[in-house]
Amino acid sequence: MDPQPVREIELMRRIGAGDGDALAEVFDLHSPVVLGLLSRILGRRSEAEEVLQEVFLQVWMQADRYEPERASPRGWILMLARSRALDRIRRRESSRRREEEAAEDRPQLRAVRPVGTERLEEVERRSRIASALGVLSPEQRRCIELAFFEGLTHTQIAERLEAPLGTIKSRILLGMNKLRQALSA
Amino acid sequence: MADHTSRHDELIPAYALGALDGDDLRELEGHLDAGCAECRRQLDLWQGDLEELAASVPPVEPSPETRRRVLRLAGVPAAAPPPATPRPVAPRPIAPNRPWRWLALPAAALLALTAWGAWRLASLGEEVRGLRAERDRLAQQTAALDRELGLARADAERMAATLAIVSAPESRTIQLAGLGSTPGAAGKTFVDPKGGRAVFYAFDLPTLSADKTYQLWWIAEGRPVSAGTFQVDPNGTARVAVDRVENADDIQAWAVTVEPAGGVPQPTGEMVLKG
Repeated sequence: MDPQPVREIELMRRIGAGDGDALAEVFDLHSPVVLGLLSRILGRRSEAEEVLQEVFLQVWMQADRYEPERASPRGWILMLARSRALDRIRRRESSRRREEEAAEDRPQLRAVRPVGTERLEEVERRSRIASALGVLSPEQRRCIELAFFEGLTHTQIAERLEAPLGTIKSRILLGMNKLRQALSA
Repeated sequence: MADHTSRHDELIPAYALGALDGDDLRELEGHLDAGCAECRRQLDLWQGDLEELAASVPPVEPSPETRRRVLRLAGVPAAAPPPATPRPVAPRPIAPNRPWRWLALPAAALLALTAWGAWRLASLGEEVRGLRAERDRLAQQTAALDRELGLARADAERMAATLAIVSAPESRTIQLAGLGSTPGAAGKTFVDPKGGRAVFYAFDLPTLSADKTYQLWWIAEGRPVSAGTFQVDPNGTARVAVDRVENADDIQAWAVTVEPAGGVPQPTGEMVLKG
């Protein structure tokens, strides 16, 4: 295993044992990408920061439940974040209102950390996933994004895109398999 | 152990993505509950791919306030500030026996100290702004509570005064009935003859224009004596405390008239209550 994941796993163990410095380190390491994901899902920066806080408190409380053999610490935290953000979305009164707000607030999300201050491996990873997403057809990509970032199911995506359910299912299956191939290439 | 088939291979990606629903979802969940190890293995693999998808979005730097709140809520006493400079990807090799390498260390320390100082200053500035806002909010709350307390005290004093009059041993109650244009109105005067005090309540009197006032009188030996002017609230009620009632035993009647604003020495207007 690479030294970085080993170190990150050790940090999770320390958080589980109540080490606050380890929590600070994991926050500094992963919060920008987690906030990026939350902002993408929620649209509103202030709400995204609020959920970010909840996510890291959950990490603090539940780090002892983390299973290193199942996911990387970053993957585990990102999935916690996605799940919390989608719960928020489901609680919102109407999807229409959410879209309006997201459209209004989206420009704020441009306030990203300059590439120069990011860890190089993060930039490389993002460029790898960007090229992997590039091999998907626009329809496949749209379906996967609607499921992943908006929490929609097959049926809901079919309704949203006004397409037959079978078409949506096969777009997602083909898209996911293409993504897998591109990422493992 | 459930038999793993190609059908499950087809369902797993959408399940990992959270897109599976209806019969497909029930079918796969039943299979997973039966303990399919192959599905678990595949789910973990998909989890890795989805981590990449999640991390494909541009990163957003959280505010120092969020970091501070997280660490404070987690009970971390004095957490180190976030790194202000990028972490090096790999350690930069330093050639041996070069004298400037020894200069690089203090310079780097100074740089780090300066960066930390700048971060700390910004963070303190934000904290001070937050505390000022909190102080202003608390000051407003205190002022509002002071006002409420003042009103509550005045209420309590009025209640105590009324109670003292009503509960005095020789206290008397005089009912006043509506007259003329206000037949539905009513009034009640409680008098404590020994203490020389009275309190009067009016009910269902119409509100008056600004140039007019109600005036309360008592009539003793056929002569009206003013006990004060008053206005009614939107419900038509009013309370008048009369601090000095002379010769209360000689009072024959109480009355209310409508008079010009400010009141008059002798009644001139319409009598609306009498008792």
